[in-house]
Amino acid sequence: MPVLCKLILRRLGLGLLTLVVISVLVFAATEALPGDTATQILGKSATPERVELLREQLGLDRPLIVQYFSWAGGLLRGDAGRSLVGIEMPVARMLGPRVVNSAALMLVAALMSIPVSLLLGSLSGRFRDGLFDASVSLGSLTFAALPTFVIGIVLILLFATQMLHVLPAVSRVQPSASIWSQMDLLWLPALTLALASAPFIVRMLRGSMIEVLESDYVQMARLKGAPERIVLQRHALPNAIIPVIQVIALNLAWMAGGVVTVEYLFNYPGIGWALVDAVSNRDVPVIQAIVFLVAAVYVVFNLTADILTILISPRLRTGLH
Amino acid sequence: MSDQEGKPSPDLGKLGEIVNSKRMTRRRMLQGTAAAAALAALGPFASACGGSESGTAASPSAAARKKGGHIRSAVTGGTTKDVLDGQVSYIDAGRKCEQIYEQLLGWDSNSKLVLMLAESYDVGADGLKYTVKLKPGLTFHNGKSVTADDVVYSFRRILDPKTLALAREHLTMLEPSGIKKVDDLTVTFTLTQANATFREALAYYGCCIVPVGFDTPKGAKGAIGTGPWKVTSYYPGEQTEYVANRDYWGEGPYADKLTIIEFADPTAKLNALLSGSVDHLAVLDTSQVPTIENTPGYQLLEAKTGGFDPYTMAIDLKPFDDVRVRQAFRLIVDRQAMIDQALAGYGWVGNDMFSPFDPAYPKDLPQREQDLEQARSLLKQAGYDNDLNIVLNCSTSTGAADPGAAQVFAQQAKGAGVNVKVNKVDPNVYWNKGNYGSYPFAMTMWGTNSYLWLCAACMFPNSPYYETHWKDEEWEKVVLEAYKTADDDARNELVRQAFTIDYERGAYIIYEFNTMLDAHSDKLQGLVANNFGEGGATKQRFNLMYFV
Repeated sequence: MPVLCKLILRRLGLGLLTLVVISVLVFAATEALPGDTATQILGKSATPERVELLREQLGLDRPLIVQYFSWAGGLLRGDAGRSLVGIEMPVARMLGPRVVNSAALMLVAALMSIPVSLLLGSLSGRFRDGLFDASVSLGSLTFAALPTFVIGIVLILLFATQMLHVLPAVSRVQPSASIWSQMDLLWLPALTLALASAPFIVRMLRGSMIEVLESDYVQMARLKGAPERIVLQRHALPNAIIPVIQVIALNLAWMAGGVVTVEYLFNYPGIGWALVDAVSNRDVPVIQAIVFLVAAVYVVFNLTADILTILISPRLRTGLH
Repeated sequence: MSDQEGKPSPDLGKLGEIVNSKRMTRRRMLQGTAAAAALAALGPFASACGGSESGTAASPSAAARKKGGHIRSAVTGGTTKDVLDGQVSYIDAGRKCEQIYEQLLGWDSNSKLVLMLAESYDVGADGLKYTVKLKPGLTFHNGKSVTADDVVYSFRRILDPKTLALAREHLTMLEPSGIKKVDDLTVTFTLTQANATFREALAYYGCCIVPVGFDTPKGAKGAIGTGPWKVTSYYPGEQTEYVANRDYWGEGPYADKLTIIEFADPTAKLNALLSGSVDHLAVLDTSQVPTIENTPGYQLLEAKTGGFDPYTMAIDLKPFDDVRVRQAFRLIVDRQAMIDQALAGYGWVGNDMFSPFDPAYPKDLPQREQDLEQARSLLKQAGYDNDLNIVLNCSTSTGAADPGAAQVFAQQAKGAGVNVKVNKVDPNVYWNKGNYGSYPFAMTMWGTNSYLWLCAACMFPNSPYYETHWKDEEWEKVVLEAYKTADDDARNELVRQAFTIDYERGAYIIYEFNTMLDAHSDKLQGLVANNFGEGGATKQRFNLMYFV
């Protein structure tokens, strides 16, 4: 399908352009923040002579444009640079384990939320206004209304500190071992993230299902005498799922940013916490790397959703030829 | 940004009630502890008190303490910017360095100067020459012995303007050429001018002894000192792991391993303690005290410190160029009420003079109380009649209670007809040049220090933290004389005079000294309240802690 390839290439090109614009914006925004890396490192001990010395050591006395291009040039050579602060670790080595941790958290949360919310959403759309639908609606609206950290705190109280003592309240991930060998630390943060994101999928699929079930072609299928199971599986669900794909993609992309709150709450060492730390230290190479990653996740998920939508919907699929 | 204009906050009354109920439980608890202590004192056989500073009536002697175990301590404030270099790190990063590095002298838990790596020190009659003898047989973590060469290297490194060493500003009386090795264990320091604070400089955390050739470590490797714990791994902003230094010259460590874990959020830190992920928590929020009190298996440790979060009045700027305004402002403060409202009761009343543990601190001067009548009349004499408007600068980085304490001050000042506008400055720029140091009226923060040490830091025009622009001829005369006086009694008498001047016409409003709180599992014992007050209530003396 050359048309599809062309579409993908175009979207990837646009995505790349977005990333470049973002990198300039992030750089400018970090510069606009009050204080710089040197004053942040020194805090109250920032005497003028010490600030001067540290700026020189960090290369912050160079013109801004030089600083930006020295960073961008490094990136083109595949070198994301070094953290400006502390032991000046290479960004890749510093963020590597944290990216894995955050990705693991998102993956587990997605695996928890997506299948369950698809099931709940389609069933409550099918049995609209029944007791089941009412309770699912109540539940999903409640979770949608609660801020993420409240969900997290309630889960901690229930499973870790007050009622039951079955799961750890904070995720003390051992940096020397893989996150997959420490799964018990993942359940609570992942469940929090899942509960915060699932309601949107449930609501969307329910609405979409109701709309589809009232559509002419479903009426037609029913009038034709097709069994209800076939009507649902072959006619209703594939059509109802199309808008939901977009919602899922947005949800996953939201998680990439939404992990910040969850990571903070559970002291989970992922990119969210690293970003907060980097911003407060004005550690530009680290901020750039994380924002770049999150933006790339957005671009990729949206693109994937668009491609899936095209492939699934017959009208768009045939339009490609 | 000045969204809060000193309007009376409707919540304050309610806050007071909550605070009072909290204090009730706390008082009960303190009575309980006092009763337990009294019982222990009654039974002579119950006391197995060791000679160590950690020995209390109820704790076993050093020899009887259980060895082994892994202490896990939760802290906040550490970030990726921390390095394990004891000469450049302080508070949050310093907490991790204190386990590794040590100084020639040190402070005990009651702010008394004690010997650490030094076996003895001698001050010449002119107050210029200090001879320091090292304890024999000391070794670094890599097995190398500690010699005079290491001491010379350590102090020259601090004085090198190319390093970020913190202690340089406290060693203005020392030139690199004044540091001399006499023999393997003896070093002499010849000062350019007599200065009694040099002894304290030798005990300052930034003056730690590192081996010859030491440079800022890029991780755990190379972080070599003489301390009770050897660092084994360092993950910036996440955790630092140590093993016990079994060749340690001092007491302990009793446990085998220590891990200091960084938390971004105080709630997560508390949850970690309550769910058993850590054994010790450094710096508990006062709002979390009831949770610890109501959960069996956990204990509070409360340390009275000499740290304080005062108000600064710049004496060369209006309206504080008039001493009567400064005196009036000091009379505005209802100290206990401010401690109750802004610090939930966790603080102890100050009397407008700092360094409460200084041997010369005048405890006999009457406690200053709120006197709005008198404040009004002083302001009137200074030409302000219910029409003084002033901006109070503060930020979330100026102290545990801020900006809450600033709001309370604004409310109390109304009583004297002063309209205070609270200006919350972004914590990231509060200390920047151009802001800090030029505020007429502001809040600041200090740790536990002796009087002369603190004066050097903030009371002279060339001080690095010259926040009050203090200048007073009579004061300067006695203080400069005190720095030069080697005799303890004569010096303390001079310092006492300086204290009195501060009390009468100084530029700080010191309404409180901080109380610092740690929490720990009751399985971990041997915690000693330390009035140093930076980084935690125990000065992070994990070497004294043991499991029961």
